[in-house]
Amino acid sequence: MNENDFDRRDFLKVLGAGGTAVALSGCGYTSIEDGKETVTSYVTLPSYVIPGISNYFNSTCAQCEAGCNTMVRVREGRALKAEGNANSPINRGKMCGLGQAGVQAHYNPDRVQTPLLKGGKAISWGDALKEIEGRLSGVKGDEIAFVTGTTSGHAQALLGSYMEAVGSKNHFSYEAISPAVVRAANKKAYGVAMPRYRIDKAKVVVSFGADFLGAWVSPVYFSQQYAQFRKGNRPEGRGVLVQVEPKMTLTGANADRWLGIRPGTEGILALGLINALGSAGVKVPADISAAAKDYTPERVGTDTGVPFDQINKLAALLKERTPSLALAGTAAEGYAHGSQNALAIAMLNHVLGNVGKTVEAAAAVPFPQLAPVVGNRASLTALNDGLAANKYKVVFSYGTNPVYSAPAAMKFKDNFGKAGFRVAFAQYLDETALAADLVLPLDSAMEDWATMVPEYMAAPEGGYAEGYAQVSFRQPVMNRLYPDTRSIGDILLALLKQRKPEAYKGFDDFYAYLRGNVLEKKVAFGGSAKDDNDEFWNDVVGKGIVALKGVPGRLSPKPSVSGLALPAPATPDSAYPLRLIPAVSASMRDGRNANEPWLQESPDPLTTIVWDSWVEIHPKTAAKLDIVEGDIVEVASRSGSIKAQAYLFPGIHPDAVSVPVGYGHEAMGRYAKGVGANVFSMLDPVFDKETGELALNETAVKISKTGERVIIVKEEGPVGGSQAGRPRIAVKVPAGKVDLTKEV
Amino acid sequence: MSVSNLLENWSKFRHTHPVDDKGHEDWEAYPSDIKWAMAIDLDACTGCNACSVACYAENNLAVVGKEKYAHGQEMHWMRIERYWGEENGEFHAEQGAQFLPMMCQQCEAAPCETVCPVGATNHTEDGLNSQIYNRCIGSRYCEANCPYKVRYFNWYNYPEQEGAWPSPMEQQLNPDLTVRTKGVMEKCTFCKQRTYVARNNARNEGREVADGEVQTACQQACPTGAISFGNLHDPASKVAKQWAQQGVDINKDKQDKDKEREKIEHQDKEPEKALRGYRILEELRPYPSVMYLERVRDESAV
Amino acid sequence: MTKDIREDIAWAQINQDVLKSLENPRKLYWVILFGALLVFSVGIGCEIYQYINGMGVSNKNNSHVWGLYIATFIFWIGMSHSGTLLSAILHLMHADWRKPIYRFAEAMTTFSLMTAGLFVAVHLGRVWQIYYALPYPSERWVWPNFQSPLLWDAMAIFTYLSSSVIFLYIGSIPDFAIARDNIHPGWRKKLYSILALGWEGTDRQWRNFRITYMTVACFLIPLAVSVHSIVASDFAMSQQPGWHVTSFPPYFVAGALYSGCAAIITLFIILRYVFKFEEYMTLPILKKTVRLTFAIAMVWTYLNCIEFASVWYSHDQVAKDVLIQKATGPYAPFWWAMIFCGSVVPFVMMFKRFQTNIPVMFAVSLLLNLGMWLERWMIVAPTFSHGYYPWTWDHDQWPSLIQWGIVFGSFGWFTLLFMVFCKIVPSVSMYEVKEMVYHRSQATKKKQLGIEGAH
Repeated sequence: MNENDFDRRDFLKVLGAGGTAVALSGCGYTSIEDGKETVTSYVTLPSYVIPGISNYFNSTCAQCEAGCNTMVRVREGRALKAEGNANSPINRGKMCGLGQAGVQAHYNPDRVQTPLLKGGKAISWGDALKEIEGRLSGVKGDEIAFVTGTTSGHAQALLGSYMEAVGSKNHFSYEAISPAVVRAANKKAYGVAMPRYRIDKAKVVVSFGADFLGAWVSPVYFSQQYAQFRKGNRPEGRGVLVQVEPKMTLTGANADRWLGIRPGTEGILALGLINALGSAGVKVPADISAAAKDYTPERVGTDTGVPFDQINKLAALLKERTPSLALAGTAAEGYAHGSQNALAIAMLNHVLGNVGKTVEAAAAVPFPQLAPVVGNRASLTALNDGLAANKYKVVFSYGTNPVYSAPAAMKFKDNFGKAGFRVAFAQYLDETALAADLVLPLDSAMEDWATMVPEYMAAPEGGYAEGYAQVSFRQPVMNRLYPDTRSIGDILLALLKQRKPEAYKGFDDFYAYLRGNVLEKKVAFGGSAKDDNDEFWNDVVGKGIVALKGVPGRLSPKPSVSGLALPAPATPDSAYPLRLIPAVSASMRDGRNANEPWLQESPDPLTTIVWDSWVEIHPKTAAKLDIVEGDIVEVASRSGSIKAQAYLFPGIHPDAVSVPVGYGHEAMGRYAKGVGANVFSMLDPVFDKETGELALNETAVKISKTGERVIIVKEEGPVGGSQAGRPRIAVKVPAGKVDLTKEV
Repeated sequence: MSVSNLLENWSKFRHTHPVDDKGHEDWEAYPSDIKWAMAIDLDACTGCNACSVACYAENNLAVVGKEKYAHGQEMHWMRIERYWGEENGEFHAEQGAQFLPMMCQQCEAAPCETVCPVGATNHTEDGLNSQIYNRCIGSRYCEANCPYKVRYFNWYNYPEQEGAWPSPMEQQLNPDLTVRTKGVMEKCTFCKQRTYVARNNARNEGREVADGEVQTACQQACPTGAISFGNLHDPASKVAKQWAQQGVDINKDKQDKDKEREKIEHQDKEPEKALRGYRILEELRPYPSVMYLERVRDESAV
Repeated sequence: MTKDIREDIAWAQINQDVLKSLENPRKLYWVILFGALLVFSVGIGCEIYQYINGMGVSNKNNSHVWGLYIATFIFWIGMSHSGTLLSAILHLMHADWRKPIYRFAEAMTTFSLMTAGLFVAVHLGRVWQIYYALPYPSERWVWPNFQSPLLWDAMAIFTYLSSSVIFLYIGSIPDFAIARDNIHPGWRKKLYSILALGWEGTDRQWRNFRITYMTVACFLIPLAVSVHSIVASDFAMSQQPGWHVTSFPPYFVAGALYSGCAAIITLFIILRYVFKFEEYMTLPILKKTVRLTFAIAMVWTYLNCIEFASVWYSHDQVAKDVLIQKATGPYAPFWWAMIFCGSVVPFVMMFKRFQTNIPVMFAVSLLLNLGMWLERWMIVAPTFSHGYYPWTWDHDQWPSLIQWGIVFGSFGWFTLLFMVFCKIVPSVSMYEVKEMVYHRSQATKKKQLGIEGAH
């Protein structure tokens, strides 16, 4: 595209502006000459644009933190559909539903279009930046706080620089749903926070609540591995998946055996398995053995509710089929003893000799300033405490929505109000943006330049051993829909220029910064010094992925079991007898994408419910409480309550109820607002003892009927999940009775 | 136009049994060496809904909203069905759930085709069951006669009256196909807009459509690669290999392997290890073009 | 026991009595007419709303693609069979008791077909493209699909409608002439002069008239059977459980005759009361009609049993499920109501004392019609709610008020047409009544002569 010094962005601008020019020609443009420079005809298009033929541009998905590489279809200057980038080691040409809905985040009718003051008054960017600078004057560095979601890449680098420039160290990276406890336990057990799991190499996967097919870490990547894992003609044979969790997730629904364990006893089961393996003759390191010695199958059976012969059977299976893989996920970590649970599960991998086989150390990008700053929930507590103590005068919020997702008991909204000046960088007027004094409109992921480094570093086939790391590039695939939105990079650059005009004067915009920065490190980014700058840059952007020789991670040979002590299973609270399990679904996640109608209309895979929240109750529990499907029930904890429709669900432990997160927005847009109930609001403020992470599953609740009843809006019919005796609709066969070896 | 013309015309569009229909020589543009077919591996399908959302994105499907969804007026061409293990009328979750992606089965002898009063739904030379939107008068007989109930009617005027694409969402609409108005039936087309591009490209270059050259939107999205799609008449295509390997013949209403198996079971002998391929409601003789591979569960291991 | 038609009634008296019904409407007539207009406007209003917003407002959905429109369509088609039965079949069988009542029965045929035709349009998603269903020559060589029973349906109905209009008109020509000759000068006289086509009652005219009338009657009978067999084909030719039954065509025809006869009884009673036709629409005629209806009711019941039995012995589990669903599912109240109204209520007609009891028969005939309407609904809806594919079962669907409104409106439309008809066409066939009276008096004379001769 360089032969023609008219790049695609210009072309897109021209298309957009041309359209505007036509629209405005009746009111303003006095002659064709006036608009000449912004009008173009189809005759002088760049060579790669043929009207009626789509172009595909590689980019990176921003819908969740997995950072899949995309290939966006663009026609006549409009982004139409996101496909997966086939060369991506993460998603390998595939896309999940959430990723597909990214175009609806872009074209969303409820986007913020101009900088807004509180109350909705639109102001110009100049005024907005001046306002920020004014508010920052006289404020000490440590009185400034940034709360963001997971950030990485050059925007993170700029954020770091800006924070340095204002003298603040208060960067709170907050994700309401993140594997933060597991990270800490992994660090202890394996020496790395986020190892690479080789589901494709495992013969047995025992997943303790890790919904790796649905919403955990990097689901599209894991799904590909899962497909390999299930192949009957794989050298390892068809894998067996056992899912241990109190509330069935999508992964649980795909398991050969789903064990509906008593909430919070995942660690006990893991130690029980270690004990059983030890008795079966597997060599168990002494310290682990000591920790597990009390957990006899009988005791574990009683504690977990998993039949003890099943424990023995599972232990026998794990002993027989190696390598296997044990995963600790969202359901296992959400307790006050979540760290212990996760650690006990990690020990299982050690005992089974999986570490180094199915648990590998991933490499890190060689640029620490681009590395992801991963979000967790402990940071929210820290921020909240600081706000409550009036420590922060100016708070910037980006990519996260704490006003929505913080438990009401933390009183975050009130505390947020205590900050003197709050700035939200936002695409929607969500709850946090509404509570802010200044809202700065962000570009969509189809409009901005960015780089991204995934936390979970996937690797291409054959690239596992080589310390593969990647930086993903996001490029604007079309012109801005609204002229007044900016990318986070542009905003941070503009703010930095206020502080250090000299250092950044060479960069007109974030694009220039990014390009300059990458070209400066051309060799590190895999080029050679001889490469033509433009060619190199076009190559990088065109591919969307830069494969790097990463800094290899190192697994620690000797795990630390210190502090591994599991509490006895919690005795039920008589006033609040049930355990609330906030469920994270693949499409709704933590609710930041709730305003994308495809996701609202796409049925929850397990309950098939659309457009609303629900309370999953085991049929037995429901019968005891005289609840039938569609009853509006009140789920009350000590910290709050919500009302939602009851759904009788066989895949949940009878002592637990589950409500999906991500619903119940009070703002954000037409598709999200008022749909369902916000379960975050009623969580008890219980924290993991080691990491201080909010323990999501520690809320005890009681359920009462309100007397109202509705017909649940769902995809399944009156016979629910029954095939009504029809012999050949969805057929299931036992593995022993089917010949998989010759399959194509 | 005369009656004789009518009769001539008539003999052209119903001349052989549908499964033997290799097209008519009049279709010079596309001599029918293509029969699009699909194979869906239920063991790989995780029920994640990616295919369904991809279908919304590709095929301009309207989001109908809660109220209309409640009335059963949703427009998902591809739906994911979720079934439970059942015993004595109770659902069991110990072996997980079962998922089944269900869309138009592109039957070779489609029950919908014969009943349409205006011939708005008929068979294409490449083995699809096509829906001609601007011919449809909305009698809905096709859906009434569809055993799978995979046709979706435009109960409302979604683009204009119902505001299914509030500005600027309409900019996302795929320009390769229409937005349907009220009163017409629609359904999965096997992403016809994509297959036709592939065929046109192949024709321009004077070659056959290569296997893998065209993917349907659902297939392209599917994170586990559970869906394969291709030309059943091309023995080298993955789909044809899968069908052949699984012993599923599109022209049979009962597969030989099933007859064999029944015979063996009749003699109270233990049958050999089976193959997984089957077609849903095959016994009704619609000759569907989608083969499913049974979900496998290792029940003995744990 | 009241008397049959008097044999000594003067011809002039007949003319006077019948022609009176064409003039000076009573207040009751206006009440009924405006009532019908009101009901019809409700239907029109609902249809306009549906036309503007789409079929979705009828609350049909992707499982229940058809609903009351198709059920009511079949109901009206069925209703149309009465006229043909009375005027054509009984005409050929020389059953002279039919003579005073066949005219309005024929009118019923025409109007119920016109009502049924409306439902074809109402039911279409894109009614503005309805002409696509017609085999009109198109330069694009696009024809309707001749394999579709729906197309056969459209053609059968159109043929039947045009034939029955012709039949009704031909049969009325002598009466138009009587009206022309006896009515006060004015627009009516002019109208009848045109309608009578210069009828003078010459021998030649009578001879031609008889031949034509007989021919059209012969032509109409197979049409009547075929039209409902074809409507039955809409279902029987499909593959759906509960529909795919070979006995459907005779079952539908029997049901049609049944509902038609029931409707005749209803209208008989209404006309007798409104136009004071006690002299002509006599109780013995009612009795004969009631007996005929009872016989047809038993045929219908038998065919119903056949349908259940064939489903039961078919080993088709899906079809069985639909049948069980009908009897036990959400439609059970309606299904049992249909059985009650269709197979139990008619036994009232077995009793002689009820056969001529006007209030009882009026109630019975309404119940029978309700039963027949329910029957059609029970054919259409349960299959949709409980078909082949369990995932798409829908047991909760209930027609919206819009749908009910249009169904309701169709009764207004029918009544409206009928009321207008009664003021334009003599609703009792004068010339045939005269014939009847003449033949009877001749027969009586003969009998008397014979008796006298024996002495």
